Amino acid sequence: MESSSPATPILEVATVTKRFGGFTAVDDVSFRIQEGEFFTLVGPSGSGKTTLLRMLVGMEKPTSGELRLRGRVINDLPPNQRPTCMVFQSLALFPHLSVGRNVEFPLEIRGQRSGERRTRAWELLKLLHLDPNRYYDKNIAQCSGGERQRVALARALAYDPEILFFDEPLSALDARLRKTLQKELKDLQRGTGKTFCYVTHSLEEAMVMSDRVAILRSGLIEQIGRPDEIYSSPKNAFVAEFMGEVNLLPVVGTGDATATWDTGRKTLALALPAPLPAGAAKKLLIRPESLRFLRADETAGNTLPVRILNQFSLGSRLQYHVEVAPGCTLTVERLREERVTGDTALLGWDLGDSQLLDA
Amino acid sequence: MIVTRAQKTGFSLYAGLVLLVFYFPVFCIIVASLSKKRFFSFPYATSDMTLKWYADAASSAQVHDFVGVSLRIAAATAAASVAIGFFSALAYARYRWRGRQTFQRLVLLPLFFPQSVLGLALLMWFNFLDVTTAWWTAAIAHTVWIAPITTLIISIQAYGLDESLEEAARDMGASRWQILRKITFPLLLPGMITATCFAVLLSWGNFALSLFTTGADSALPEWLYARMTSGYQPMVPAVGVLNVILAVLLVLALFSVVHWSNRKARAARPAAH
Amino acid sequence: MNAAAPQPPPEPAAAKKPARELAPALLGLLSASPFGLLMLFGFVAPLLCVVWFGFMPPKTFSLLQAPTLENYRTIFDQTYFKSILWSLGLAGGTVLVLLVICYPLAFAMAKIFRGGAAFVTYAIATSLFVSENIRLFGWVIGFMKKGVVGGTLAAWFDLQIDSLLYNVPVIILGMVYVYLPFMLFPLVLGLKMVPDQVREAAFDLGASRWQVFRRVDLPLSMPGVLIGSLLVFVLSVGAISEAKILGGQKVVTIAADIESEFTYAQNWPLGSAISTLFIALTTVVVFFALGRFDLEKLLGKKPSE
Repeated sequence: MESSSPATPILEVATVTKRFGGFTAVDDVSFRIQEGEFFTLVGPSGSGKTTLLRMLVGMEKPTSGELRLRGRVINDLPPNQRPTCMVFQSLALFPHLSVGRNVEFPLEIRGQRSGERRTRAWELLKLLHLDPNRYYDKNIAQCSGGERQRVALARALAYDPEILFFDEPLSALDARLRKTLQKELKDLQRGTGKTFCYVTHSLEEAMVMSDRVAILRSGLIEQIGRPDEIYSSPKNAFVAEFMGEVNLLPVVGTGDATATWDTGRKTLALALPAPLPAGAAKKLLIRPESLRFLRADETAGNTLPVRILNQFSLGSRLQYHVEVAPGCTLTVERLREERVTGDTALLGWDLGDSQLLDA
Repeated sequence: MIVTRAQKTGFSLYAGLVLLVFYFPVFCIIVASLSKKRFFSFPYATSDMTLKWYADAASSAQVHDFVGVSLRIAAATAAASVAIGFFSALAYARYRWRGRQTFQRLVLLPLFFPQSVLGLALLMWFNFLDVTTAWWTAAIAHTVWIAPITTLIISIQAYGLDESLEEAARDMGASRWQILRKITFPLLLPGMITATCFAVLLSWGNFALSLFTTGADSALPEWLYARMTSGYQPMVPAVGVLNVILAVLLVLALFSVVHWSNRKARAARPAAH
Repeated sequence: MNAAAPQPPPEPAAAKKPARELAPALLGLLSASPFGLLMLFGFVAPLLCVVWFGFMPPKTFSLLQAPTLENYRTIFDQTYFKSILWSLGLAGGTVLVLLVICYPLAFAMAKIFRGGAAFVTYAIATSLFVSENIRLFGWVIGFMKKGVVGGTLAAWFDLQIDSLLYNVPVIILGMVYVYLPFMLFPLVLGLKMVPDQVREAAFDLGASRWQVFRRVDLPLSMPGVLIGSLLVFVLSVGAISEAKILGGQKVVTIAADIESEFTYAQNWPLGSAISTLFIALTTVVVFFALGRFDLEKLLGKKPSE
């Protein structure tokens, strides 16, 4: 599974399972996080990503398996004794303390003197673009969503953790602020050289920030890899679908590199990029941008006559919903310049732009 | 946060201990109510056990009178304090108006007030007004104390009231009165039922207010107090036990109402899960 | 909407708007008025009546006489301050004992038990509806000579003990017992307001369990602690039954003093004067404490998140 890991891992998850009663939330999961990398666990809700994170931080104990921090088993180490720290989804700022006192909290617990604490809090607030003169004494309740985000980060950094965990802290923010903070977070990780482990349900968010991504489904890891690896070669239909709008055609092999596609009303014959044994069922992945409308004189690996149902503007591109057969639609994305008119068109794609995936 | 099994057991044992001590007096009363002897002493032989005092209590005309007075007070109090509570809950939690914050503090005042003194004050007030105290003056006294409680209970429901429902109704042309009757009232109904149970139960058990305001009538707690401090009757523990049983039954009814309204509320929000 | 109407259409809409804005204010006042009237005639007027009666000549029953300060002179001449001190002391003791007993239980109910919490709630709440006299009487049967405790000790361990009643600790036990729900439930509410994630965050940032308690649980549950303490204090400072039923005549509280002025002594003005003093004292305590926190937060609205 591990493709690129010459360095020793800072955190190793070895065959970890977590059960709640009869329910298996995390099922025999193994992976490694390298020192200084930005690692992201991504999965839909109920995939076990939060449970996994809570075990990494120490809020839950694994039912079986081992967690190793620099080779040392930490299964039974409570969170207050682990050199790791988490930024919560709710941020979990102390509502009764000021911004400055929130940031100083871990230092205070450690018994640092107030002068040193203040200096450090001052530095951290500056690092996170919060003017200490204005924010140090501010009440948490008076801070905006983005400001709270930064305070939570400063507080976690004050703990000086070896690994910093994040439980979807950006999910409550509006799209624009989220984008800004994603980039800031990435910069911060580069700047501090710390290991970040991030959990999110958005693969898009994971792709923007991460060095490596692990995709979880129903307690199992589906795929681990660099963002571009995952994008270019998704391991199965679930991963492909999770990345956004794609066309996944259920196909059944008819021997060699041909297959049939049952659209409900009628069955179409397709050419495949690779051979498929007769009778084997797979999914054919075609990205919306790989589909194109053909002129009368053009040819492609596969061509289908379609009816154009609808078109949507995506800024520089246009998205079309086209009907191959009654009740069976595909999504097509083309540049604005290639706009088509009329009700019907000829759709086509090159074989190299399609992939066969396990269902 | 991880809760270890040892911690859980420890806290459970502690809770069990507290409940055990808490129910020790009830156990004592039950034991005493079953003793045949005129003057209770413990332990007693099983041959000395009897249900005689319960039969006495059930057939005592005196006890019937006191129960009747208590019930009348409880019914009147519940009706008045829930009706008042409905409106004051709206003022407390629903409408935005200038005096709201002051009102919210004011509502709590009677609760933070010693009941014996309140009872006395009402006695003097009735005396000043030249009103002869009877069961209904006690009901007024109870209402002064219980209406704030019903207000708070209904307010909790009113806080959860989705304002957009009323706005939607108004948007569809309903008048204020129609909104109140067709939207607000049914939505607050579970809270009002809970409040009714509370009002009945609290009035039923109240002693400090009744002591001064019942006049010639006498409520059950008063009679028990009198029999405990002077002129003990062996019937007293039996009446006490019957009283407890009644309270438990009412609480069970309350429990099922709360359960029912929770379920209804959950059913009304299918998308929540 | 009604284009065919003779008036110009924009005007009724514009005229309607301010009327609609005014309505909530009026509605609030209107729906608060039944309660307001009840308070005026059932609470404020009687209290004024008491205060006024305190200035009437001793041993009279009419409010229409020349005011005098004689009753207050009597209070300060005699030993009523002793009963006031007893009442305050017993109430203070009750609050402290209840805080110690209830905090761990409330913590378990808010943060540890799941279904068990509802069971404990109902088990404790049921007691609220049984007249306190009956419950106190249970203790009498338990603690009297040859009662349940004494009898058991004699039968099983051959240990003869005298009555455990009629002393100060038993009075406090009685008050602790009767007012336990009033401390427990506000504490549970207060502790439920402490967000789990905030506690976990403190723990994650290196705090020990004790530090989590000191720095997060306690300050964030303070509204519950204050409300519970206040309720118990006010209720127990005015309590009559406990000292009478469990304490015999060992201790005379201020509430008992007041009651006897109205019953045996038939000195209403003196009783009123003592009551007035007593009310003033509790009001000062209540307002001092109430002024310090926002009740709305505890009752309906969740903490801003």
